[in-house]
Amino acid sequence: MRILGACKVSKEGVIVNNESKTELLASSDDWKKELYSSLKIDYPKFHKMDALAKMAFLSFQYLEQVIETDRFQDDEIAMLFANTYSSYDTDQKYLESYTVKGSPSPSLFVYTLPNILTGELSIFKKWYGENIFFIHENFDPEFFIDQINFYLSKGAKACLCGWVDAANENEECLLFMVDNTTGEITKDELLNYYKQ
Amino acid sequence: MGSIAKLERRMSQIYLSYGGLITPLGTTVSENFANMREGKSGVQKIKGSGFNKEDWPLGKMETLTSNNRYRELLNLTCEKLIEQNGEQLFSDPRTLIILSSTKADITDLPNDTFASTRQILNERLNPASAPVIISNACISGVLAINTASDYINAGKYDTVVVIGIDVLTDFIIYGFQSLFALSAEPSQPFDKNRKGICIGEASGTIIVSKHKPENLFHVEYLGGSSSNDANHISGPSRTGEGLYRSVNKTLQRSGINSFDIDFISAHGTGTLFNDEMESIAFDRLGLNNVPMNSLKGYFGHTLGAAGVIEIISTMLMMEHGLLLRSIGFEETGTSKQINVLKENIQKNTKVALKTASGFGGGNASLIIKKSV
Amino acid sequence: MSDLKETLKEQIIEQLNLEDLTPADIQNEISLFGDEGLGLDSIDALEFIVLLEQHYGIKIEDPSEGKEIFQSVDSLAAYIEKNR
Repeated sequence: MRILGACKVSKEGVIVNNESKTELLASSDDWKKELYSSLKIDYPKFHKMDALAKMAFLSFQYLEQVIETDRFQDDEIAMLFANTYSSYDTDQKYLESYTVKGSPSPSLFVYTLPNILTGELSIFKKWYGENIFFIHENFDPEFFIDQINFYLSKGAKACLCGWVDAANENEECLLFMVDNTTGEITKDELLNYYKQ
Repeated sequence: MGSIAKLERRMSQIYLSYGGLITPLGTTVSENFANMREGKSGVQKIKGSGFNKEDWPLGKMETLTSNNRYRELLNLTCEKLIEQNGEQLFSDPRTLIILSSTKADITDLPNDTFASTRQILNERLNPASAPVIISNACISGVLAINTASDYINAGKYDTVVVIGIDVLTDFIIYGFQSLFALSAEPSQPFDKNRKGICIGEASGTIIVSKHKPENLFHVEYLGGSSSNDANHISGPSRTGEGLYRSVNKTLQRSGINSFDIDFISAHGTGTLFNDEMESIAFDRLGLNNVPMNSLKGYFGHTLGAAGVIEIISTMLMMEHGLLLRSIGFEETGTSKQINVLKENIQKNTKVALKTASGFGGGNASLIIKKSV
Repeated sequence: MSDLKETLKEQIIEQLNLEDLTPADIQNEISLFGDEGLGLDSIDALEFIVLLEQHYGIKIEDPSEGKEIFQSVDSLAAYIEKNR
């Protein structure tokens, strides 16, 4: 396996393949909206997404600038995602909708599952591949390497992997894509992408 | 081509055996089955359970009495596992624990809702490796068994203990109510009068192992897969595309032809669109005549536990040569004809297909075979 | 009526958590649902039911009734005027 590209987005900016791509305006109160506008894409569904799905969507846009994903068939890419806090941020907002605002919100409730973001990416790309979402205490490169091996050995041609978390003002998202070309990925390589 | 197609890739034999089953119908596997074969349902109207104090029918466990149902149920699950299997199995370095849950301890907000899960598993079962947690909506349980087989196939572990668990909370009940997805009467999967879901709570445990269980009923795991609908984050696909693709992939990985399938444990939530979607997918797969049921009438929809407890129930049906009727089903209510069981039937089932579909557009399936 | 429409736009943004948008982004006659316009779907239609009940005391029991009412800001405003 070989890493095709990696992209980290956070309020500090965008880093693609270890290179800083965009610095965000410190004054902007919503960095995700700022990034969306700078990308000049028209996808109204973006505005309805929760923080997790928005970050994954944005990060994926940058990844697609450096990876030609269309060479894969619509079911050849497995999506392997994980985080620590599940859908924490949206859980809080949804909870508030009925404890404070008076009525449980259906549009928030549907985002109270972390794997919704893999659905959003699948819809955006019309990808029918395998999906799985794990809850893990910390970003664990070895865990991802195991999962990638499992899915490539089951027949996936590539894996889109992601660590996306939103909790307590901390928002971070690392996406990386791996294909089945001969080669090896090291733990340090992944850790460097995560820590940058 | 012979009736059993060429095996594509099966690295090791993998066996599934009962770990435990705690539902409104009982706290052991055998107690549950005794009640199920008599047609008992664990679903009943719970007074004032709705956001506006409606009496929704729910699969609520009377045995849980503390103010934290999740921790109580997970603790009870671990206790029973130790009671029946001893401590050694769980602390063995060749054993991994996988837990499947959609919301875990939601009452723990604003704390990490999966932190208490890790803590209880570590304290109670003392595992050598950190437990793996899967939270992928209603397909989590089936994905957990598929992941267990991945770990065993790769030689990482010899045995994987898969626990599926979710409990009833206001959070979940109000949420499904806000989607107009709850049924005011016990749910009727695949029936023409079906009006929605009844939510339930349960835990189920399956021991997945490369070691053939001696003197214990077991089935062989043949293969599994998942596929996204790429259609909508909460609405089922109109064409059943994801489910269709997942079952096809699972058949291929299992080295099984569709006409070898003797029984289907379907997802069957009881909503108009989900059950219709499943009928379309099964029709496209040519599985119209295969006997099938939805077990949601017995337990309600137990979300992250559903896949696991329904596989356990399927194993029970295979063990006893008895296919259970789909509670709540009387008259076909899907556009495609499918063979939903109205009565219990005696049938020796060799090969069974389990399917699940859920929010996020996910679909998952697996095939098990009775060991001879 | 035009005041009502402006208020509605603010309420729609609030109710549907469309924090990225401003009332100026929503045109009166444009279709709120489907891939154009706001790209809303059947789940968002349920939010409109909550909105009508909370802010205007109008109850819609069957979600399928909403389809035509929630077409656009124009149709929503007309329905509220008629029923409140």
